[in-house]
Amino acid sequence: MILMESPIPAGRRRLLFGGRPVLTFREEASRRNFIKGSALVGVGATFVAYTASDQTAFAQGSGTDLEILNFALTLEFLEAEFYTMALQNNVVSGRERELVTPIRDHEMAHVQAITATVQDLGGTPTEKPMFTFPDGVFTDRAMFLETASMFEELGVTAYHGQVPNIQSPDVLAAAASIAGVESRHAAVIADIMGGNPFPAPFENSRTKDEVLNLAGQFIQS
Amino acid sequence: MQRRDLIRGAGTVIPATVAFQMLGAKWAFAQDGDFDSPIDVLNYALTLEYLEAEFYRQGNSADLLQGKDAEYLRTVQRDEEAHVMTLTDTINKLGGSPVPAPKVDFGDAFTSRESFLEAGFTFENLGVSAYLGAAPALFQEKELLSAAASIFGVEARHAAILGNLLEKPAEGGVYMGATETPKPRDEVLQAAAPFIVSTVTL
Repeated sequence: MILMESPIPAGRRRLLFGGRPVLTFREEASRRNFIKGSALVGVGATFVAYTASDQTAFAQGSGTDLEILNFALTLEFLEAEFYTMALQNNVVSGRERELVTPIRDHEMAHVQAITATVQDLGGTPTEKPMFTFPDGVFTDRAMFLETASMFEELGVTAYHGQVPNIQSPDVLAAAASIAGVESRHAAVIADIMGGNPFPAPFENSRTKDEVLNLAGQFIQS
Repeated sequence: MQRRDLIRGAGTVIPATVAFQMLGAKWAFAQDGDFDSPIDVLNYALTLEYLEAEFYRQGNSADLLQGKDAEYLRTVQRDEEAHVMTLTDTINKLGGSPVPAPKVDFGDAFTSRESFLEAGFTFENLGVSAYLGAAPALFQEKELLSAAASIFGVEARHAAILGNLLEKPAEGGVYMGATETPKPRDEVLQAAAPFIVSTVTL
């Protein structure tokens, strides 16, 4: 980006779930596609089991809109299930529940919208992975909020990483209109947990090198 | 084909069959002719950022807020000032002429905490819709597009938090639905017009 360096310091990055993968794909092809998508948009490898042999996936060039949409779909599946389970477990109440409930509804709407768009483009929507959420995340309010914050901030980064890669103006329009909502979610979750809803004047996106750096923690040797 | 035609043309190559079901007819691309060039888009954004930055400068000087309110709104002001600087620098780098700051009048916005936050809430949501409405006009300029998007996301953060400080309903206050709604240039300018007293060319 020519305008300005990312103002978010490297030290702000946190380990997600202590480095354990939270996504399990039934099909190897789906897993590899997701990892490839992670590289394209600069985020997401933290969610999946990642092995040294997957390095080749990162080496591939720019993806198609379908690949980008399917990557986004996986993240939306993750968020939708996360909030659905959290609300079922009543991990938050009162105004906090009032604020979190629409987030769940939005993520579910995003799943539907992206699925429909992939189909309209003649593609096959990616499968919904199995999610393995860590113990306590739906019973411990602080743990829930911390995890939600990581998902939302990563989601924002993911959409912003996609912006220059998207080839269809229509897909861009859809992705941007979703990205803004993810930014609202990120800010509200930060506010609830007593964090900073405005960490920088510009939303961040990650480079491929940064992803590899992050993903390196998850390589199974 | 001239450069400006290429940029305008971005809105015309969308296959009609690529219907985004949830968005349906809600999505409105920038009207053909809304913008003459990428610099025109950036100057449009710069005017809105000037408006916001000055709004928060005056509001934060009015001593209406305390505690978390005050802390948040100071950060929002710094964000808007950063957007002004970045847009100005970018327009200069591209060989354009940044528009001057408009003369503004915010009327009764700074009489109370509520009036300040309420006006800010309106500005932020307007900004979100303005950036989204202008995005297609930058479609061929990937770096500018990314930069504009990164500002747009922060405006959405501001909008949500101002809505929450005002204890507005979650949906329709803090959030504005599952997707953001774009606004075309004329609607945005109409909404901003009451606060701009000088004649500026947008």
